[in-house]
Amino acid sequence: MDPNTAANLLLTGLLRGGLYALMAVGLALVFGVMNICHFAHGEYYVLGAYAAYFAFVTYGLDPISSIIIASLLSFVAGVITDRLLFAPLRKRSKGDWVINAFLLTAGLSVVLQNVYRQVFGMRYRGITSYWDASVQILGLTVSADRVIAFGIALLAIAAMWIFLQKTRTGRAIRGVSQDEQGALLVGINLSSIHTLTFGLGSMLAGLGGASLLSLSPAYPYGGTKPLIASWFVVTIAGLGNVQGAVIAGFIVGLFESVSYFFLGQGWQEVASLALLILLLLFKPTGLFGTQIKSVWER
Amino acid sequence: MLSVTNLQAGYGQLQVLWDVSLDVAQGEFVALIGPNGAGKTTTLRAIAGLIPGRGGQVTFLGQLTTGRPPYLISRTGLIFITEELNLFEAMTVRDNLLLGAYSSTDSKKNRLNLEQVFELFPILEARQKQLAGTLSGGERRMLAIGRGMMAEPRLLMVDEPSLGLAPKVVIDVFNALKALHGLGVTLLLVEQNVNHTLQIADKAYVMEQGRIVLQGSSDELLKNKYLSETYLGRR
Repeated sequence: MDPNTAANLLLTGLLRGGLYALMAVGLALVFGVMNICHFAHGEYYVLGAYAAYFAFVTYGLDPISSIIIASLLSFVAGVITDRLLFAPLRKRSKGDWVINAFLLTAGLSVVLQNVYRQVFGMRYRGITSYWDASVQILGLTVSADRVIAFGIALLAIAAMWIFLQKTRTGRAIRGVSQDEQGALLVGINLSSIHTLTFGLGSMLAGLGGASLLSLSPAYPYGGTKPLIASWFVVTIAGLGNVQGAVIAGFIVGLFESVSYFFLGQGWQEVASLALLILLLLFKPTGLFGTQIKSVWER
Repeated sequence: MLSVTNLQAGYGQLQVLWDVSLDVAQGEFVALIGPNGAGKTTTLRAIAGLIPGRGGQVTFLGQLTTGRPPYLISRTGLIFITEELNLFEAMTVRDNLLLGAYSSTDSKKNRLNLEQVFELFPILEARQKQLAGTLSGGERRMLAIGRGMMAEPRLLMVDEPSLGLAPKVVIDVFNALKALHGLGVTLLLVEQNVNHTLQIADKAYVMEQGRIVLQGSSDELLKNKYLSETYLGRR
């Protein structure tokens, strides 16, 4: 392999990994704190993409404002979803919460896809670029959009890390993920932490969809691919492990770009799934899975 | 300060508590003793709001707390340290303590309370960067008590602090509780270790099969014939 191709693979892998990490952090957070196997995560990605599209194209806002508005909107959508669906379900579920919540997300995914289809139609809504520029990295020309999307993903992940580690509310989120009764006993209102967590998870997904609008246009069923990719990442990382999800995001990104190069489109997914099966056979807890259930711990 | 009247509670079809009534006054050190399965833990769980009461009343500081969610009860200063401790195992000792002060946003006050906890339990200061899950049994109890202290409790309910500890560590934990009481914290302690408990408590309630069967000051109870024959093995 000549150095140019290697640099290309590395770069594609890293850029792709950044988005995977972003999506997977949201998913891991929702699973770790709320115990929800979230299969409608992709629909919030699509929501972010639509919101950014309308803000940027229809209202002519600048790229950064469009992306910010899209992620705020996804946050609000997540909050509403939790209040409307998961909070009442949690009140009524006892031992069967995990399976009930999973079914709810699966249903929600179908409903949202069809709502998007009704409201926005079956056409792709995309843009050619937010920023009409390109950057030279490792002797390769990369569009500014990709680099900035990558930067946004890293920034959002870092901000999330600081929030969870250093703030009172962040500690409370980690506390709820580790011991719900302990959290209640120190005075944490579980249901508001749950709502906040679902909002944040949705926000990260929406941020991903918005910042990658020029690469993957908004489309009613556009959430399926990012959903599967982020589930792939969190399964490899170990369910609910947020820190592991970041590392696994990059591993998966690099693995996909390399296997795509050597095997081509058709076999690339086979390689990914084979990797997943092998990993689950030999280390069912995932690469970074531990006995202790937690969000973002050592 | 805390007054429980005719409390009934249980799990599912099973009623565990029958007409439990008890009173804890400001500054008192009250113990709830009795054999395994008598309903001591259930009593504390019902007072803390972790299980719904089925009848009777709990008032704390003159306010009815029956039916309130546990996080609101905790915010009024009624702090419950469970037998299983419910520590945040994958968090550092320091983060556990800081979460104990979750209800308070006064950072200056929280810092003072943290210093007070470290003064009472110097081992926690030495281990503050360590994960709670890696502590020894005795250290875990101390962390749980320290986390309770961070909330500036008006009343601290402690469930079986001596359970599973080596005798020497039991003495450490009891000394810590005594010191806490000395700082002006009102305590309601559940214990099976009757002799030890009656040495440090002001008064005690004895529970059997979900009912209060005996109550009185520790001195009276130590002289009580039934109690000393049944629990202390004296004849």
